[in-house]
Amino acid sequence: MLLKLDLNDPRPLHEQVADAIRRAIVQGDVAPGDRLPPARDLADALGVNANTVLRSLRDLRDEGLLEFRRGRGVSVLRRPDPREALRSMARDLLDEAVRYGYRPHDVIELIKELS
Amino acid sequence: MNDTSARDAAFRVRFLLATGAWAVIVAAALVAVPLAFKERLPDPLATHWGPSGGPDGSMPFAALVIVALVWALVAGAGLAVAARGELAVRRHARRWSTAALAWSGVFLLGLQSLTVAANLDRPRWEDAASPGWETIIVIAAAFAAGALGWLAGRPGPDRRPVSAEPAAEALVLDPGERSVWVSTVSSPVAAGLALAFLAAAVSLAACALIGLAAELWIGVGVFALVGLLGLCLSSVRVKVGPEGLAVSYGPLRWPSRSVPLAGIDRAWTERRHPSDVGGWGYRGRPGQSTIMIRGGECLVVRYASGGELGISVDDAARGAALLNALVAVEN
Repeated sequence: MLLKLDLNDPRPLHEQVADAIRRAIVQGDVAPGDRLPPARDLADALGVNANTVLRSLRDLRDEGLLEFRRGRGVSVLRRPDPREALRSMARDLLDEAVRYGYRPHDVIELIKELS
Repeated sequence: MNDTSARDAAFRVRFLLATGAWAVIVAAALVAVPLAFKERLPDPLATHWGPSGGPDGSMPFAALVIVALVWALVAGAGLAVAARGELAVRRHARRWSTAALAWSGVFLLGLQSLTVAANLDRPRWEDAASPGWETIIVIAAAFAAGALGWLAGRPGPDRRPVSAEPAAEALVLDPGERSVWVSTVSSPVAAGLALAFLAAAVSLAACALIGLAAELWIGVGVFALVGLLGLCLSSVRVKVGPEGLAVSYGPLRWPSRSVPLAGIDRAWTERRHPSDVGGWGYRGRPGQSTIMIRGGECLVVRYASGGELGISVDDAARGAALLNALVAVEN
């Protein structure tokens, strides 16, 4: 399993680790049903604390990407759905827009301008 | 290319003829020597000597001829492997097999001569002489023959294994990123067997402690050693990162071996099976070995020193690609 961490990323480490694992799943490094290497091996390879990796794994489980099974370790449940990921980001964007007094229509105009 | 394969094929035939001739000569001597002295030997013969020097074990005369049969089987199996596989055209494997053939042939001949000489003209096996310094000569001669066999295996082609899979994908490394590859492979069967051996060692130790027999400690040692070695090889983790390659064994990830990037030449993947490398576990010898946990795709790493290590891990192609990319950056 190939994992990449951006050394200059200011975000919390557990989010970066979760991203790295998610990317590996999206790119097909590990397919649904495959087992991930044990958390301490991932932590050792990435040079981070094992608890950080465990937190990332739990986050990914809560997203529905991973499955924890007693005695069998952590395995991939499914590939992340890009449409679903974008949908939640779009909802955040709309919420943020409302705070500035923008309506969805204005946001659509903004996106059209950018693309 | 065709030229090379034709030369290799011709060499393989010569190699098989030479080793076959050696096998036949040794087998013939193993049969002829006891038969020539049959009238002057007791039946059964003394074949084992105790610590005091007196004979304490015997075998029927036919057993001497069975030694020849064992030799024929061992040498025949070796030749069959050489005839089918790449053994004859790979220098390292060839040298080891010629050394082993020379050593075992001379050793068996020497053992048989010792037995015949000790039993010669004795009416009963209990009267057999005790071999003394001759034993050391036989052992030394066998090792000298092994060394000669090692030298004799040197001339000839040396075909290096080529990547059986298509060239590994190229990876582009971003200097601002830390890229690592980690893969683990484990065998529940091996872990179960190892634990069974350890359990046997503990049971034997308990029996020895309550005073059943002191010899049980030998069994305790053997079972514990086999169990611990098996446990180490029941699970292997391979890590590739900016620090280099690290291979860690066992559930505790210890022992662990790391090789810095400077010590690595290149990496590729190859399909290897237990039948190719001689079984499961750590196969081969340092410098030319395979850690075989399951058959199939293996990550193969060639060290800058020329040695090679194959490990049967999943996702080996990506590991090889990352290792190659890191080595390219390092250089």
